[in-house]
Amino acid sequence: MQITVKLYASLRWKLFDEALRQCAPGAKIRAVVDELGIPQADVGIVLVNGLHAGWDDTLNQGDVLSLLPRMGGG
Amino acid sequence: MTDMHQASSNPASVLYRRCTIDLASGTASFATLPCRNLEEVLGGFGRSFQILAERDITEAYSPENPLILNTGLLTGSNVMTGMRSYFSGYSPLKKSSRGLPAAMWSAGSGNFGNKLKWTGIDEVIFENRSETPVYALFRDGGAGPVLELKPAGDLLGLTGHEKIMALGKLYPDAHFAVIGPAGENYRSVFMGAVVLSTDNQLKSGEPKSRFAGRGGMGSLMGYKNLIAIVAQSADRLDKITPVMRDVNRDILKSGGSARFQPVSQGGGGGTWANIEVLQAFHAVPLNNFRPKGNDDVERLFRDRVEQDFEVVSEGCFRCGIRCHNNLFERKPDGSRGKLAAKFDFEPLILFGSNLGIHDAAQVSELIHLCDLLGMDAISLGTTISYLLDYNERHPDRPLSNGASFGDFDLIRELIEETGRGGEGVLGKGVRRLSEELGETSYAMHVKGLELPAYLPDTNPGYMFAIAGGHMSMGTHMMLAKEGKHSVDEWAQAITTNGLLQVGYDMIGLCKFVGVGIGHDIIIRGIREAVGLEITCAEIVACVRRAYLRGLALELRQGFAEEEYTLPSQVIDDPNPNLALPNFISAEFLEQLRQRVWSVFLPEMEAVLPAKGIVP
Repeated sequence: MQITVKLYASLRWKLFDEALRQCAPGAKIRAVVDELGIPQADVGIVLVNGLHAGWDDTLNQGDVLSLLPRMGGG
Repeated sequence: MTDMHQASSNPASVLYRRCTIDLASGTASFATLPCRNLEEVLGGFGRSFQILAERDITEAYSPENPLILNTGLLTGSNVMTGMRSYFSGYSPLKKSSRGLPAAMWSAGSGNFGNKLKWTGIDEVIFENRSETPVYALFRDGGAGPVLELKPAGDLLGLTGHEKIMALGKLYPDAHFAVIGPAGENYRSVFMGAVVLSTDNQLKSGEPKSRFAGRGGMGSLMGYKNLIAIVAQSADRLDKITPVMRDVNRDILKSGGSARFQPVSQGGGGGTWANIEVLQAFHAVPLNNFRPKGNDDVERLFRDRVEQDFEVVSEGCFRCGIRCHNNLFERKPDGSRGKLAAKFDFEPLILFGSNLGIHDAAQVSELIHLCDLLGMDAISLGTTISYLLDYNERHPDRPLSNGASFGDFDLIRELIEETGRGGEGVLGKGVRRLSEELGETSYAMHVKGLELPAYLPDTNPGYMFAIAGGHMSMGTHMMLAKEGKHSVDEWAQAITTNGLLQVGYDMIGLCKFVGVGIGHDIIIRGIREAVGLEITCAEIVACVRRAYLRGLALELRQGFAEEEYTLPSQVIDDPNPNLALPNFISAEFLEQLRQRVWSVFLPEMEAVLPAKGIVP
């Protein structure tokens, strides 16, 4: 199946802004991120279609997976 | 400090050195005191708030209101970021509905805290006020610390940076805490910052100060006619042991600090990157904390700004995190020009998109001007955005010079006029301004302190911050990070991990160490630096007591139940452009308050000392 991956800030500076990716039906987010070569520790927020998601959530055809880096301040 | 091995079971075995200065008479005394509890051992606001709680202060600008300068347990140690100094007092800016000033502290880096500690002083209490402008010179006199008060008339009118450079010529091995023109004009400016020198600044001559900005401690200095503080000592860092080397390596490698490290080293590039993360939710403050769902703010993204400026990652004294993003102009030949500004999330947003300005050069100029004049960027930026919002709502009767969103020249004029003590309306903060105008719904403050650059629509935790809104309650990113929006989740966050944010304002480290205050790295760092054996549970309990003491002190100073709330616009006119759950209603806030107070109030009994016990 095909999904869209969107990266933000330091993640996109290193790889790409947005790309179409092929993955197996029912693939877990963790597997897709591993395949991209992004350390999970570098990812602070995971969204699927704009909603917060977990590493073990599965993806569906046409989903938009957004990966945002950790943020901090204070 | 002495006998750390017994500190957690017997805090009185730990001694600290205090200097008390009567600015009215020009006399000083030194005392070595035992710590009364573990909060005093850790230091910072954990100690200063106990002193403030013993005073009965009804006016910030009164001789009885002390200015307390102290350090943390790890200030001046080899633990990375251990250089913080703290300024505490009753705030001219933050006040309750009963008109009483709130106790406040603000913290800053630079090398001043280290130098002060190396003179042999852990704490200074400035009492009363001087009749004439003075600066305090602390130096290591060999047999102990020595104090002199010196005339400071020649420093008046100089910017904070100019004061630091002038003093640097007189005291080449010293560091400095000064006020800018804003602090000198304390009568009309309640948001004056304390400006702290850095090694980089003194060596390069570039205005790379650090700031203890929140709550107007620089204005309190100005009221006391205390124009500067000089700490002169040789560096006294111990040799770095293998254990300490590992602690510092773990600070850099454990992941917590990675988000603040330079992009070139694989880090996130400081707090600047927060803009892009929050923009994914259209949650970046724009035009007075009212995002429009557009992409205007993307002009301030890092890669866009790098097209016009050279961005250089730099750090504080011996700090490997190197979170500073200093913008330098580019000369026509492509080489590095002069320093434009330091781009951090707060000033970048509060002098940028939140004022309707999206040009990096213009934002740099406003940040730079605020810094030179010595004002708190958060309080000033947020008060200006209110004024611009008011003017947009009332085009027929605008305030001040009539500035509106995006009017760079007029906004620049407002900053200059405020910092120089003009007749402007901004210097006393947004609460006073909005109450005078009778339009409080869009005044972005909680309990009289202006909000930082995280939307109140996303952070009901602001209600329970006891000092800086995101400095003293670590819930400001929870909604974006985790999407949580139930009363249960917010009550849990506020009453457990959120309040632990204040622990870093006790021990002398920077929050950008990036781990929880009870983390093993902190425990190991304390043990190796000062020999104190303390457990994770002990340090968490100690920080919790210190926080609750601050909250109890708010109640004693007259903060009423209805003040524990958010700007009413959040409830009455929710922003439809946020791509995050709209979960804050009057009912939600009421339920949350009930849940949080039901946890805190029983624990707050007996945390405050009685008034009038001045040790």
